[in-house]
Amino acid sequence: MASIDATNDATRRPFEGRRVHLGDVLLKGVAGAAAAGGVALVGLIAWKVIDGARPSIAKYGIAFVWHIAWNPVPGHEIYGAASFLFGTAITSFFALLLAAPLAMGIALFLTELAPRGLQALVTALVEMLAAVPSVVIGLWGILVLGPQLRIHIEPWLHSALGFIPLFGPPSAAGASIFTAVIVLAIMILPIVSSISRELFLGVPHELKEGALALGTTRWEMIRGVVFPYARGGIAAALILGLGRAMGEAIAVTQVIGGGVFIHWSLFSQGDTLASKIAAEYQGATSNLDVASLIYLGVILLALSLVANIAAQYIVRSVARKHGVTRGGHA
Amino acid sequence: MPKLGTSIRITSALAAVALLAIVVVGAANAKPARQATTLNGAGSTLIAPAIAVWGPAYAKATGVEINYSGIGSGGGIAAITAKTVDFGASDAPLNPSQAAACSDCVQIPWALSATVPTYNIPGLHSAQLRLDGPTLADIFLGKITNWSDPAIKKLNPGVPLPNLAITPAHRSDGSGDTYAFTDYLSHISSTWASQVGNATSVNWPVGVGGKGNPGVAAIIASTPGSIGYISVAYVKQNHLDWTRMKNASGNYTLATAPAIESAAQLVKTVPADNKMSIVDPPASPKYRNAWPLSTFTYVIVHKSSAQADALRKFIFWALTPKAQKLINNSFLVFAPIPKVVLVAAEKTLTQVH
Amino acid sequence: MSAHELTTPAMRLDRLPRRRAVNRTMEVLAWLSATIGVGILAFVVYSVARRGWSELSLSLITKPPIPFSFTNAPQGLANAFAGTLVIVGLATVMALPVGILIAIYLNEFAPPSIRTGVGLALDVLAGVPAIVIGIFVYGLLVVGGGGQSGIKAAFALSILMLPFVSRTTIEVLGLVPNSLREASLGLGIPQWRTTLSIVLPRAIGGILTGTVLAVARVAGETAPLLFTSSLVGPRTSWNPTHALQTVPLSIFELSESPNPKDHARAWAAAFVLLVFILVASLTARWLATRNARKIAGR
Repeated sequence: MASIDATNDATRRPFEGRRVHLGDVLLKGVAGAAAAGGVALVGLIAWKVIDGARPSIAKYGIAFVWHIAWNPVPGHEIYGAASFLFGTAITSFFALLLAAPLAMGIALFLTELAPRGLQALVTALVEMLAAVPSVVIGLWGILVLGPQLRIHIEPWLHSALGFIPLFGPPSAAGASIFTAVIVLAIMILPIVSSISRELFLGVPHELKEGALALGTTRWEMIRGVVFPYARGGIAAALILGLGRAMGEAIAVTQVIGGGVFIHWSLFSQGDTLASKIAAEYQGATSNLDVASLIYLGVILLALSLVANIAAQYIVRSVARKHGVTRGGHA
Repeated sequence: MPKLGTSIRITSALAAVALLAIVVVGAANAKPARQATTLNGAGSTLIAPAIAVWGPAYAKATGVEINYSGIGSGGGIAAITAKTVDFGASDAPLNPSQAAACSDCVQIPWALSATVPTYNIPGLHSAQLRLDGPTLADIFLGKITNWSDPAIKKLNPGVPLPNLAITPAHRSDGSGDTYAFTDYLSHISSTWASQVGNATSVNWPVGVGGKGNPGVAAIIASTPGSIGYISVAYVKQNHLDWTRMKNASGNYTLATAPAIESAAQLVKTVPADNKMSIVDPPASPKYRNAWPLSTFTYVIVHKSSAQADALRKFIFWALTPKAQKLINNSFLVFAPIPKVVLVAAEKTLTQVH
Repeated sequence: MSAHELTTPAMRLDRLPRRRAVNRTMEVLAWLSATIGVGILAFVVYSVARRGWSELSLSLITKPPIPFSFTNAPQGLANAFAGTLVIVGLATVMALPVGILIAIYLNEFAPPSIRTGVGLALDVLAGVPAIVIGIFVYGLLVVGGGGQSGIKAAFALSILMLPFVSRTTIEVLGLVPNSLREASLGLGIPQWRTTLSIVLPRAIGGILTGTVLAVARVAGETAPLLFTSSLVGPRTSWNPTHALQTVPLSIFELSESPNPKDHARAWAAAFVLLVFILVASLTARWLATRNARKIAGR
């Protein structure tokens, strides 16, 4: 989210043309070094991770991305990211599909429907959901959600919608892509909803009241004024949620079951880029194994960076377009 | 009015914090003065119960603490190669490329145990289901998918096998149990040998993965219809069900200490690198009661390191009859190591100093 | 649907009942979403509380774990709680000065273009997955550099905290009225002293809030710990030069165990962790609203 105040430059203008003190130089220098370090950190992370993957990149090149194999047996070693890329794509996509409408609904509730007191309470509660650590949601996923899905939900879905390849035979152990999708949806719900809420709050009152004055119902006003105005921001919120879902390793590895195949059924096991790294890193058996796992990390980093930068770009250009300054309300 | 005091206070507070941070980070990069009061190890979960017993006993005798992390044999090999631990533990011996990567490492057999196929069929607990190698291979290859399959029925006449889908469970981490299990399957099934192979981590055609022996045990305990391979001690601790495996002599045996000890008699002379495989002992009166999925387990250390002296003392202690007796019991089911292996182990140990 | 379509024939009065019905349906859906959202939180917290409560006792924090125990001897997670305190504490000590300095630079010194650039970099840093940070620190510090340690784990966590601390400090510094800076200038005080002894003290409340939020965020983080502080023993240690057990990592390991007793301890630890994080987050947010009003108000 746009975090830099568009504070007016008057803050610094008073200090122009004054005598330069040693303290000023020192503070500016040290603080500037910290800032430079922060920026350099991003580059350093990217460089170090790519460096770690070098043996695998050298061996497979870009074709790694579409190999479906992963075999650490010495003598038969072959590695490829495709099945994990598929896992990341399918889990994040469906998690977003589940979470986005819910998040929008919550945001609309908070900005249009809720009475003042309830507004503050529900906002706080949804943000508390964001504070729950991923390992706790994973624990809950293994011991509470998984068995419930395995015993009740999956068989029902399979019998009702089994003709769709997505709903194949229920998982045996409660660990499946479906469980991971629900866990991820729970985790990204707060982010998408809180960003959407801020966006909806930022829609100028005059626009909304103007539409209502024309005789529209509240929903028509939302459809006609709020959504178009907040369109860019909503896209950014969705992309940020997607990025968060792609990067989640711990909760996913606890509930997804593991596997190197590409099945269309949501109830089969699988692995995502992040969960594969978490599962295998400590027990990686050869240099190529380790490098290939880091290569998965490179792909994950690239995807996250693209999602993040795209979202930030959208947010900043939308803010520019609307002339928005943040921090206007306490 | 800003007081000079506030400005100085803030500046000095910031400076103190920054200084502390620098000192702390600097201390991190200084080689920590390692007193020989802690030895860090990681690897096999098969040996973890033994170390859980040895650790406190050794600490009581000598004051040296043993910190151990069960991350799987594959992880143990990787950790000792990268020197992030003092000793690695693995049920699988180093393969040629691992031995080359860990160039001044030695592997020393220090315990003898086995991996056991265990299952969860509601209503058939304590039935001690009978299985043989080819059937087991077919289950894990995905060719046999239901417990009521004729192949299983044939081995277990009179047992009311239900119409229940089989869920094979395997290790998702690099595992010595996997090594022993796939070693056995590769011996008795050429399909397995060519299609999947023998290693600490393989490409499983079917099934669910669990992390460590505890992870697989968790899957078996909670999933009706599941079957997996787990070290003996974990089957015991979690009250899981035993299978009777048909060995080469045609007998259906249980994984007891005598049965494992019998399989270990396969070792006549120990090779220089201590690499031994005792799965699937051949048909012979000598091995008529042998358990076909037995395995030695190794401790892997560098010949020379900062902790070499302490390590040698610890491993020597672990090989003594007193320490071995601590784990040769009905809880942990480690079998006594054959004398010829003990001698070879102690001989290798002299290289560590 | 663009604004001008608001006056199309579809909006005629005779369509009003149907339009009202649609509106009502959407309202119900919105209420439903909020209920589901709150319901999920309630369900998760309730699950953790109910299952964690019974195993919750003082021995959870005071007794060490007994690996592979066959007896019912009381065990706890003393090593994990000690380790988390040390590692999170160190991470805060590392992240706080750097985060504040970055915020000072961006808010008091930097020209707009640099502010946007560095701000973008910080937001991007905030989006890097925690597991990639784990790989980064592993490759940078752990491999060939002497193994795992609590300090390296703290370093990884401090990278995760940095954008949080910076971001909230920037916002809080921005809330300090310019009139204060101008008044200080008018009295002949140099910029550095103005920043450190006038602007910063007013922002301390907000900085504290941001720090508490960052701590809450990072106390439950597991992925970087896998790479930097996971080879640990049962003994309680406060020495950060060795790898230390941590609460999130214990929960992770216990969650995959077959032993119901281990699950019980995992729930109890999760309960303690959750309560700590929720209380910290709520307190921080309440303080934030109070502080923001106080800073800007005078």
